Amino acid sequence: MAAIEQEKTDLVEVLSSELDASITLKKERRMWVEIDSKKIVDVCLKALQLGFEHLSTISAVDWLEEGRFELVYHLWSYKYRTSLNIKTKIDRNKPSISSINSIWDTYAETCERECHELFGINFEGNSNLTPLFLEDWQGPPPFLKDFNWREYTLKEHYKEENPREQVYFEVKK
Amino acid sequence: MTSVKKKYDASDFEMFFGPAHPGSGNFSVKVEMRGERVLKATADPGYLHRGFEKLMEYREPMQNSVLSDRVCVLEPLQWNLVHAEAVDDLMDYDVPERAKYIRVILAELSRIQSHFIWYAVLSLGTGFMTGFNVAMGYRDYILDVFNLITGGRVYPAGYICPGGVRKDLPENAEKKILAVLDKIEYMRKFASTENLAWLSRFKEVGILTKEEAIKYGATGPILRGSGFVTDVRREDPYEIYDLLEFDIPVHDEGDAYSRFRVGMEEIEESMKIITQALDRLPEGEVRTPTLKPIVQFRKANGETYIRNELSRGEGAFYMVATGEKTPYRVKIRGPSFSHMIPILERLLTGVNYADVPAIYWSLYQCPADVDR
Repeated sequence: MAAIEQEKTDLVEVLSSELDASITLKKERRMWVEIDSKKIVDVCLKALQLGFEHLSTISAVDWLEEGRFELVYHLWSYKYRTSLNIKTKIDRNKPSISSINSIWDTYAETCERECHELFGINFEGNSNLTPLFLEDWQGPPPFLKDFNWREYTLKEHYKEENPREQVYFEVKK
Repeated sequence: MTSVKKKYDASDFEMFFGPAHPGSGNFSVKVEMRGERVLKATADPGYLHRGFEKLMEYREPMQNSVLSDRVCVLEPLQWNLVHAEAVDDLMDYDVPERAKYIRVILAELSRIQSHFIWYAVLSLGTGFMTGFNVAMGYRDYILDVFNLITGGRVYPAGYICPGGVRKDLPENAEKKILAVLDKIEYMRKFASTENLAWLSRFKEVGILTKEEAIKYGATGPILRGSGFVTDVRREDPYEIYDLLEFDIPVHDEGDAYSRFRVGMEEIEESMKIITQALDRLPEGEVRTPTLKPIVQFRKANGETYIRNELSRGEGAFYMVATGEKTPYRVKIRGPSFSHMIPILERLLTGVNYADVPAIYWSLYQCPADVDR
């Protein structure tokens, strides 16, 4: 066990130099790192080669005031029993980042499909960005912070003038 | 049969497996067929999208703990636990020892009843109706325990909440849990006996190699069924799992049968965990004495990523707090997201249509956590 602990402290240093970024060990078994969005494919590939084999998921966060999207790639290493969370920020107006489907294949593609559908982020190199959950959705990406779904549903669905709703207001003669 | 493609001859066609198929759940797979062979499969989720991640941004953590049950019907208490741990971590709560034990006991009971459902749907898929009825019947004993402890049979309404659990165990709960464990022992033996129906339908069907399993993000029984020893409870221990003794069942073949065997062997391990936890159950508080939870959460600032071993694989919560009374962003990672989309599509390619149900159910699916 002591060997593993020793390895972990070394791991932070090794990773920091290999990935050329400063890694912080926030809690036991939780490493976080912030990188430039252009380097994402290289960093993920390096991480995989160093033993971070499992892509847990990709999360997107919409920082509205800052005008940027943050993408978090949650990786896990079965070998070192440590997670590595890679954070990167992209512009909110033209959200675009390279796809990591060359590394985690269709699983990465599926995670990216979700981010594309719910946040409108474009992943270059991912040819399959078809929607997963929403059918016939014409509105803006629904998980954006400036999209108010309460107003949207009220306007679109619960007014008497709405053709979709008229059936509920018809009086039988 | 929905359409015949004109560009091929008449033996090429597309059809849907689900969402109206008995037992497929709220999920459908579009399969392109040539004769009886599947050429290509495309998963089509979205029938159960409720937008939990967005809903949680509008609610306080205590309300969210009630919402978190609904992520998946198979193991609501385990989803409660992941959510509660994420909030605990953000707020730096020191959860009382007794609450940790109660959480583990309920999570493991939840795992057993979830595996019974798995046995039941697998039986349904292979036409072994006795198996379905027996498994669902024995599951009911565990639901009765949930009813006694949490007040809800299937959904505990946020029983495992940030800071501990909502209420202490009732007086006779420990006795009842032991009695129920005794009763379900019959079902465990029934599930682990070799059955000709299982062998003929599942053996050497839907083989997933270890390398592929890791690449496509498989976790839990699916990954262990491909011969990879891993368990979040052992490698990334939470609550009191590092104090407990249990084995990790693994099978090397990677086919539908070995995945199923791993699941059934886990029932025994969960029973071991529950007996150990009940033996050592300490006295004391079950909830951190705090200010009002809303006031507390306003102090939380930062982010956390919490992983748990659910009955079906790795479940995780990514939560960001910015000092508001509601979380700024919540992301839920369900185990079926990888099992039901990339892995299912990969395994169904090139198989005989008669094997589709066996592969589908052997992946321990729950469309609810794919869609969220």
